[in-house]
Amino acid sequence: MPDVQASVNELISKLKRRQVEGSHATAKETAILLRTVVSQHRGPNANQASSFIDAVKAVGSQLITANPVELAVGNIVRRVLHIIREEDLSLATTGIGGLSVSAGSDDDDETDRNGRLMLSAASVAAASRSALRAPSLHTLLEDLPDQSGSHHTSSSGGDSEGKSKSADKNSKSWKLKQSVIEAINELIEDIDNCHAQIAEQALEHIHQNEVILTLGRSRTVRQFLCEAKKKRSFQVFVAEGAPRYQGHVLAKELVAKDLQTTVITDSAVFAMISRVNMVIVGAHAIMANGGIIAPVGLNMVALAAKRHAVPFVVVAGSHKLCPLYPHNPEVLLNDLKSPSDLLDFGEFSDCMDYGSGNGAPLLHVVNPTFDYVPPQLVSLFITDTGGHNPSYMYRLIADYYSADDLVVQQQRFASRK
Amino acid sequence: MLRPSASFILDQRESLSSPPPNLAPPATMAPKPPIQAGSGAGYYAARAEHHAVSSHWLAQAQAAVDGGPAKPGLSESHGDRHRDRENASFSVIDEFNFWRKKPDLAEAVAAIMALAAVIRTSEATTMMELEIELKKASDTLKSWDTTSISLSAGCDLFMRHVTRTSALEYEDFDAAKARLIERGERFGEISLRARKTIAMLSQDFIFDGCTILVHGFSRVVLEVLRLAASSGKLFRVFCTEGRPDKTGLRLSTELVGLGIPVKLLIDSAVAYNIDEVDMVFVGADGVVESGGIINMMGTYQIALVAHSMNKPVYVAAESYKFARLYPLDQKDLAPALRSVDFGVPVPTAVEVETSARDYTPPQYLTLLFTDLGVLTPSVVSDELIQLYL
Repeated sequence: MPDVQASVNELISKLKRRQVEGSHATAKETAILLRTVVSQHRGPNANQASSFIDAVKAVGSQLITANPVELAVGNIVRRVLHIIREEDLSLATTGIGGLSVSAGSDDDDETDRNGRLMLSAASVAAASRSALRAPSLHTLLEDLPDQSGSHHTSSSGGDSEGKSKSADKNSKSWKLKQSVIEAINELIEDIDNCHAQIAEQALEHIHQNEVILTLGRSRTVRQFLCEAKKKRSFQVFVAEGAPRYQGHVLAKELVAKDLQTTVITDSAVFAMISRVNMVIVGAHAIMANGGIIAPVGLNMVALAAKRHAVPFVVVAGSHKLCPLYPHNPEVLLNDLKSPSDLLDFGEFSDCMDYGSGNGAPLLHVVNPTFDYVPPQLVSLFITDTGGHNPSYMYRLIADYYSADDLVVQQQRFASRK
Repeated sequence: MLRPSASFILDQRESLSSPPPNLAPPATMAPKPPIQAGSGAGYYAARAEHHAVSSHWLAQAQAAVDGGPAKPGLSESHGDRHRDRENASFSVIDEFNFWRKKPDLAEAVAAIMALAAVIRTSEATTMMELEIELKKASDTLKSWDTTSISLSAGCDLFMRHVTRTSALEYEDFDAAKARLIERGERFGEISLRARKTIAMLSQDFIFDGCTILVHGFSRVVLEVLRLAASSGKLFRVFCTEGRPDKTGLRLSTELVGLGIPVKLLIDSAVAYNIDEVDMVFVGADGVVESGGIINMMGTYQIALVAHSMNKPVYVAAESYKFARLYPLDQKDLAPALRSVDFGVPVPTAVEVETSARDYTPPQYLTLLFTDLGVLTPSVVSDELIQLYL
């Protein structure tokens, strides 16, 4: 346990100091850490899954508070929680199938015990499966049986201790841990391979002699374009992406792959957009309503593209998909970086001096990292599962996340007076 | 022999103290076993409910006991029968009106409680019979108010649940019936909880210093604003007058009671004030398959104005309002008319638009807050498909 806590603290301090940057690296480190947490976890044998869930939630909420702007942390925590619930459910359904078989042999005390609710194994499984998904209309009227169904499973699990040997119990909990760790390994692999899987779709979207516009430097976009280069010839306009000017780096990489590239300033995007066939950009995070958190400047590009009816395509791995709705993204989901990126402190030290006048400087510098692009400006999302409409994002979220995990931190709705 | 009958509830209610006497074959017309006053009469009355014993036979049996001639007609024995039961002549409309009187209960919920009462007092012995009875009751309710969408949506939802909760899960009809009744009666609690869930989900979207435009009087929206005010958020509300239903006046009275600064606008002043508004909050009479909403007249207009000025339009609606309708334009709705009082007499040659509600297409709505979570309009059809197909 102590070494797990040490690595948790290490990741927390890295997140706080922004030493780990970018959703890809953060997601991978979070997943690896959570895998360690699960494998080192020594919980009670009964109801193993919820002790896993509590442990992961405890670590997860610490990680999320360390860097709330880095949404990939929360995404991975919720993915792991969903994995635990799913694995527990699939083990339970195979387990109950075995139980009902043995129950058939000695039916008189079984019927006594299951006197109140005579639910078949299939319906219990169906009930708990529907508990796993987001609440929907057809489960609206079926609230209670889910809870009593799960009590039924846990009580029948407890009953079975008396019946079968305890070794079976241990093997079941061991199986759960193994399957969870396997699933987390798959998740880590998916995070690693997302660029390749997205790039595979490049040929469907980029056609001969097209002009593509992008801003800044995104690894996913670079791999996407390079994959398309193998079979098509096209041009790329790269907006430099002030103040970090990562666009320059991308331009160099593209030229190394024999792509005709043009570098433009961010302000020239509107002037050039009419000559462009498609805008392809990466994102920092995709929100549940289909809006994206993207590097600063992309909202402007999206507006320009909308104005000229140019498709705005976002390429992003599925670890960037966040189940939350943005209610004030410009403020709450933004990081303000140092003004030194914009202005040289040496020249402007007199304007920004706190000592002069009444202690407040007249010159303020705002250097936000991210922009929020609303869903109506985005034409298409290309993820590792394929191309999707922004209005389809809720489906992917329902696949990857459980509704119970949306709030990882406790004391969410404490009233403030 | 003593297999629990479908009228077990009736049996309990009659509280038969002594075990039922030996059952005579119902075919015999003579009152064979001695009819003791008390438990026996109650027992045979119960058998009459089953139609195992014809009411004519029962009348004759009563006559034999009373020592007088057989009482004429079925109505007397019907009266006997009804007197034995707890409620007087059962009508689903009466039940529905009873539930509707409760101030916090929505129409759809009242309908579902009424249908649950139908199940409770039903004499059906199989699921099919029960479904047929429920279908009749549901049609009666729907015909009582043909314009209410949430009413028919609530009835459909409960019917759908009944057809799904069938022999697959329960070997015993009684357990299934008991479960259905329980679910239906819990639905009242669910609806209250739904409002609280919706209020909680919308809290994040109300920030300090914001201005909210509200149209129509929706108890859900009122709950949202009440929760925001009680958690100490500072915001103000613009209320449209809501002619001719005076919804604005009613709502502003409520809001003043909550300590929220309110400004009343006439309906035409919405575009004039839309600059100062940060978001629009409306309830819904019904949510249709496309993700659009049907709400009080004027909602569409406000949504258009808000959309053109890039203000978000949020809808707060419980999930039982999702209806299987797909209006393509305003005229596709079943007409709901109410007269408008202009204060001065209108010449008879002048036509008056009397429709009470309109349809807002989904592209003008930003988000729907429901007890199923925060949804974008495109999710609504997905939910409906999951339920109905």
